[in-house]
Amino acid sequence: MSPALLEIERLTKSFGGVHAVRECTFSVPEGQVAGLIGPNGAGKSTVVDLVSGFGLADSGSVTFAGQSLVGKRPDVISRLGLIRTFQTPREWRNLTVMDNVLLARRQFARESLWRSITRARRIRREEEADRAAVRAILERFQLADLKNELAVRLSGGQKRLLEFARIAAAEPRMIILDEPMGGVNPVLGARIGQAVRQFADEGRTVIVVEHNLPFIEKICDQVIVMDLGEVIAQGPFSGLRATPRVVDAYLGMDQSHE
Amino acid sequence: MYWVSVITEAAVFAILALGLDVVWGWAGDFDLAFYGYLALGSYMTFVLTIGKPVAPVQYIIGGHLPLLLAMVLAVAAVVCLAAVIGAVALRNLRDIYFAVTTLGAVSALYLLVENYTPLFNGYNGVYGLVNPGQTALNLTYNGYRIVFLGVVLVILALAYLLVQRLSRSPFGRMLRSVREDERAAAAYGRRVFSAKYRAYLFGAALAGLAGSLFAIFISAFNPSAWTPQELLVIYAAILVGGRGNPRGVIAGVFVVYIGLVELTRFLPSPASRPDFGPALRQILIGLMIVLMLKFRPEGLFRERPGLDGAQGLAARLLRPFGTRAAPAPAGGVPAAEEQAAGDRGAG
Repeated sequence: MSPALLEIERLTKSFGGVHAVRECTFSVPEGQVAGLIGPNGAGKSTVVDLVSGFGLADSGSVTFAGQSLVGKRPDVISRLGLIRTFQTPREWRNLTVMDNVLLARRQFARESLWRSITRARRIRREEEADRAAVRAILERFQLADLKNELAVRLSGGQKRLLEFARIAAAEPRMIILDEPMGGVNPVLGARIGQAVRQFADEGRTVIVVEHNLPFIEKICDQVIVMDLGEVIAQGPFSGLRATPRVVDAYLGMDQSHE
Repeated sequence: MYWVSVITEAAVFAILALGLDVVWGWAGDFDLAFYGYLALGSYMTFVLTIGKPVAPVQYIIGGHLPLLLAMVLAVAAVVCLAAVIGAVALRNLRDIYFAVTTLGAVSALYLLVENYTPLFNGYNGVYGLVNPGQTALNLTYNGYRIVFLGVVLVILALAYLLVQRLSRSPFGRMLRSVREDERAAAAYGRRVFSAKYRAYLFGAALAGLAGSLFAIFISAFNPSAWTPQELLVIYAAILVGGRGNPRGVIAGVFVVYIGLVELTRFLPSPASRPDFGPALRQILIGLMIVLMLKFRPEGLFRERPGLDGAQGLAARLLRPFGTRAAPAPAGGVPAAEEQAAGDRGAG
């Protein structure tokens, strides 16, 4: 297996007296799809926040592609190639679908106030290549006909797809999906699974936080199980049933997930 | 001449409103310090051009600079003040916390200027900038006012073109993404503070420019000219015209200013109640805000989304301003499919 792209070591975070994350240690190799599961309140989302810069750990380390992420701002981490999503889709509501996806492209240099004034024409020309790429991405996620709609008018499922289109446009090295299947029907769920697989096929590393176990079983190479802020198991999904603590904490005795 | 004066004032405020719209309309920051920037721009223009104070009048600097240089320096001073206030208020504070902080800042500034006479002559204010360059240009008083209106309109047009260009640029789009969802913007690599800060300084520069022109327009300036209520009118104008749409903002300012000035001019003014007119004006502004928010929250001209490609052009022609696009049924996931509740596994 290739060396770990993301390494988390003894990560700890408390909110007041609540130990949200305790000495959490796990790693994800490059190119893998990893599932992060566990009961509500296990600390999964806190780990996602700490990794992506939306929270500051009390102690421990997070290393991404050999660089420490501790203390870095979310935008810095994002620019290093790690994109995360949120439990509810956070589309830019009053921007068009096209603009939403265009904004996910790495076009930071073009967003200078000064150059927007002095080189407007040149910037527009440069942007054409990005627009073409975004049109292809919208096609891939069945959003092409909606490109000039405001994102606020999309249905819940379309918003999920828009989130995936943004990720595709950002071309990140690593993706952390926080409950991508929340409130999603089976048909759309299959499409989301397919999108995750495609990201993996493109060589991107993915972490999926999810409660939908059939989904996790189908798409993940390994699973990390958390409970009460700690990692209680890590390994292939098939092995989890043999771990009593996982069964007690999460799977339950008579778990049928067909 | 009356109309020249009304239009000049409206044009100056339109420049101010364009700046405020960048801060509030695009970046989403409800700034209450903004009128202070107009005031400082105005004060600075005075003290840089009208020469040394003669006792008992007191103020700082007392320069005799050429007007254009003074205007540039006044704008620079305003940007410096905004840099300080913005650095504190924009760092972590948002929404009402940001608004209250900026209100505190402008109130402190107001009290300082009013009570510390050596700064800008306190309550009595500064004066003496009467039609700068009138003799050099060999104009009559009225002729000067007309030429000045022309100059202000040209500056307004330039400011509009500048803001419009920015509005459609990647910078404008990035700023709006920060307004719509800051966390998502950060997750996609946007430096939220820096984006808001740059917008704030840009907006303040326009306010300083407006203040400078205002100084020439009214030729005297004291604290009663910039009470916090004045800003409410600018916000009302942006709301009426269309937040985020530069053309709408200018239209809004003209509608609100000329509408209000004209409406209240013909009102009866009972001798026993001299404050009847101004009071009614405030009520009308409030009423207008409520009605706009209720019936046309996007304003007369709504913010124009960046439309893409040929379909965008067609849509632009077929869809006159203001009308809402019908929710598109075509493409994507059928809405009915969404009705089914998610089949979440154990959890």
